Amino acid sequence: MASLSTSSLSFKAPSIQSTRTSQVLRKPLSFQPISFGRFQSSKNLRLQISCAAKPETVQKVSDIVREQLALSADTALTAESKFSALGADSLDTVEIVMALEEKFNISVEEADAQNITTIQEAADLIEDLAQKKPAA
Amino acid sequence: MRISVMSQMHRSFSIDLPSLIPLQLPSRRETHLWYVIPDEVKSTSLLKRYSQLLSPIEKDGVDQMRGDELKKNALLARTLVRTTIARYQTNKEVDPRSLMFKKNVYGKPEVDWQNCNNQPLHFNISHTDSLIACGVTVHVPVGIDVEDKERKIKHDVLAFAKRFYSADEVNVLATILDPEVQRKEFIKLWTLKEAYVKALGKGFSAAPFNTFTIQSMPGTEGAYNLCKTSEVTADPPEETKKCNGGWKFALFDLADSHYAAVCTEDDQANEGAPTKIIVRKTIPFVEDQLISERIFL
Repeated sequence: MASLSTSSLSFKAPSIQSTRTSQVLRKPLSFQPISFGRFQSSKNLRLQISCAAKPETVQKVSDIVREQLALSADTALTAESKFSALGADSLDTVEIVMALEEKFNISVEEADAQNITTIQEAADLIEDLAQKKPAA
Repeated sequence: MRISVMSQMHRSFSIDLPSLIPLQLPSRRETHLWYVIPDEVKSTSLLKRYSQLLSPIEKDGVDQMRGDELKKNALLARTLVRTTIARYQTNKEVDPRSLMFKKNVYGKPEVDWQNCNNQPLHFNISHTDSLIACGVTVHVPVGIDVEDKERKIKHDVLAFAKRFYSADEVNVLATILDPEVQRKEFIKLWTLKEAYVKALGKGFSAAPFNTFTIQSMPGTEGAYNLCKTSEVTADPPEETKKCNGGWKFALFDLADSHYAAVCTEDDQANEGAPTKIIVRKTIPFVEDQLISERIFL
């Protein structure tokens, strides 16, 4: 059963800025990530009506994470893989965000940058930001 | 047979654990910094003992780490915190297993003293692949960060700084011509800024890296100042800088391999007074080694 540890739930609207998306309905048990020496600010949750990030996005994020953390080829990465569990510290997370910004041509706000904890969350944020950009 | 032996051990497990040597609390103007070098802890029986100290949630956390080295380091980090804090309870012997932890509203880990009188002890941990550190203070919040001196930044250092650091910090870095020296200064700044945000304990969004500048205090070695930038709404918009003495910083070498930054809130009673940092290396239950005692202005 999902336990909501934050105090606000808002429905997705195009005008809402810089809130993290979280697959609330998909991962009911993962609300208290253990972080040793690294901690997270409270997260904003949104009920997402739209789909999760595309598999290609997830794959691209995984590739970037793999490179930044110098993971061996036999470290399996899934969308649920947590950065901290892979040995990423906050400097790694920031570098990953910078690489994502370059790869996807987006701009991530610092608060969002520090809040990304899994590959899925990074992919969702990327697609979210890409969607908000005016059509080229 | 085996099962009954196991349950015997569970019932009387205090006999199984060696006692911890108690420690004197830091004084108000001291920070104690303890560190463990994972490579120096090889004994599997010792590591097994450590794992018996952890709470179920902590054990889960260790299990979630991907790879043996990461698991070991996660185990050592929790062990260091539990044993160190337990040793400071000089009134009575405290079982490190009995300590409870919680997070403040922003997610910063703290000891949950439960029904005991509010203890003045504060702690903060930081670790890299090769070193785990825990800072301890009384009465004032503390934040620490350690980084491997040789850590390579994948991006261009100045581009990184322009993206995340304050304008003044970028200017300082931009004047450094040697890329190695520049990289090292970048890392030092990172540890100082991290230590501050962790000492503040309100999460990274409360103090975005580009809203404050940490600069070295001229004429000192290892002492730094915090300047907060705020934009005054005017036309044209102005930036004002407030360099207050509210936080004390110290930066120093650790184990020849790392930079360590310690940030503590400036105790109003002792505002501006120098701070002493006592560094000790440890292997929990095995040995302590005093490394250094140093005063920072």
